Amino acid sequence: MTFWLLLSVNSITFGALLFLLAAGFSLIFGLMRIPNLTHGSLFMLGAYFGATFVNGMLGAYFDFWLAALMAAALVAVFGAVIERFLLRQLPGQPLAQVLVTLGISFMVADLCLMAWGGDPIAVATPPGLTGFVRIGPMVFPLYRIAVIGIAIVVGVALWLLLDRTRIGAMIRAGVDDPDMARVVGIRVSGLFTMVFALGAALAAFAGIIGGPILTVYPGIDQYMLPLALVVVILGGSGSLLGSVVGSMVIGFLYNFGQALFPELAYFVLFLPMLLVLLLRPQGLFGRFIP
Amino acid sequence: MATSALSLEHVDAFYGDSHVLQDVSFELGEARMLGLLGRNGAGKSTCMNVGMGLLGARNGAIKVFGQPVTRLPPEQISASGVALVPQGRRIFRSLTVRENLVVAARKPGTAGRHAEWTIETIFEMFPRLQERASQMAAHLSGGEQQMLAIGRALMGNPRILLMDEPSEGLAPQIVAEVMATIRKLKESGLSIILVEQNPNLVFDVADDIVILNTGRVAVVSTPAALQKDDALLRQHLGVF
Ligand SMILES: Nc1ncnc2c1ncn2[C@@H]1O[C@H](COP(=O)(O)OP(=O)(O)OP(=O)(O)O)[C@@H](O)[C@H]1O
Ligand SMILES: [Mg+2]
Repeated sequence: MTFWLLLSVNSITFGALLFLLAAGFSLIFGLMRIPNLTHGSLFMLGAYFGATFVNGMLGAYFDFWLAALMAAALVAVFGAVIERFLLRQLPGQPLAQVLVTLGISFMVADLCLMAWGGDPIAVATPPGLTGFVRIGPMVFPLYRIAVIGIAIVVGVALWLLLDRTRIGAMIRAGVDDPDMARVVGIRVSGLFTMVFALGAALAAFAGIIGGPILTVYPGIDQYMLPLALVVVILGGSGSLLGSVVGSMVIGFLYNFGQALFPELAYFVLFLPMLLVLLLRPQGLFGRFIP
Repeated sequence: MATSALSLEHVDAFYGDSHVLQDVSFELGEARMLGLLGRNGAGKSTCMNVGMGLLGARNGAIKVFGQPVTRLPPEQISASGVALVPQGRRIFRSLTVRENLVVAARKPGTAGRHAEWTIETIFEMFPRLQERASQMAAHLSGGEQQMLAIGRALMGNPRILLMDEPSEGLAPQIVAEVMATIRKLKESGLSIILVEQNPNLVFDVADDIVILNTGRVAVVSTPAALQKDDALLRQHLGVF
């Protein structure tokens, strides 16, 4: 019983991290139709930057949360640069976009290996969250509960931004009909850069928040990217609700799959993706056919 | 003629290799209405798209109140005071009616002398939109969608309104409503280009008429003169 509950909490925590990663991926794909294969790299960069600040590798030790925000801001700028100077030059060329983003992800991986070496870097759980919560006879790690809380807060904030503000309506108008959005005066290109930067920041934030759980190591980018892809295909691109549901489904499938059928973990993970692609190509909550 | 609100001067436009507009020139006077006629595929919508910046002119110039806007992107042409009610309406389907209006809101430019359009005044003009303010725009009827498309264009407080076949696919009664609205807008001092296939709709309201034929300006005239010239109409528009 305790085992299953703990596995469930771990699944939800992992789902929460996936949500932070995939929400941006989904938004970028939904709005700009760009399959951003650097998204795993943005996650990894966030994790490395954050670890560098937290672990005092630059001489000064930063507070975990401040480090997380700094990492997110840095990666947001990196994302905006990629969008403005590379992807912007390749409108409507998905193959070129795939190749460019894939290329950048390999380059980032090389640079990270050079800068941080091949050994995993541990990130300490932020002080104050190292304990456990006791619910009835069960104890849960406090930090994992906090990650779930953060994802909920971010999810609600994103929903408010997209659904309840004028800028959110402008973004959705840009998704609906980019040309008409420009005709009514919306600066779609500026919005695109903003959304890309926001997605990058969220990915980076997920990277450092996930640090105490996953540690940071070379290859974590290529470990996370396919998971984000599956989440978005499952949930439907551009749909926030889709990202929430997709992340949770994958969080559970991944953790339970590894616990129950370790040799079939990937099979369990990707089978639903294949089914969704065949039966409902726009995803569970998507409006578009990718 | 009054000052020119919008002019196309020797415009050539292409879709890929196909040369769709050939040396097209015409002028919309301030506070006037120009009826733009032509058969299917004559190039009417292409003129609107070029005027709005959706399609670049390869040669020639486009001017808004004398200022060249050739090759500016749509959002900048919109800022210079031009708004489009596109063919097929193209409302933002996954936005609510209110959001469709809100995203297009813009204060009138310094040169704007007209009363300012706001969401309230749009709702006054189209009470049915107010009743459906929080519905998804996709669920509106065709006539309501057309009203929303007009309201959305007005929210930008334009000085020039381009209307591409606003009567298309609507029941006669709704067409009459839309035409009444267009007449009111003209009286408010907006400069308007009204694209139509049916010349009779346009003859009632327009000051000037331009007929396109296969991407060229075939006729520049007035409703009064054209109504007497059945042969010319038949030559360029087919039989009515
Ligand atoms: N996106 C496009 N790509 C290629 N050719 C196009 C495109 N849009 C229009 N055309 C072609 O350009 C020509 C002019 O089209 P346009 O839409 O301007 O005609 P129109 O006068 O508005 O016709 P309608 O009354 O049917 O709306 C047509 O021959 C059409 O087939
Ligand atoms: Mg047309």
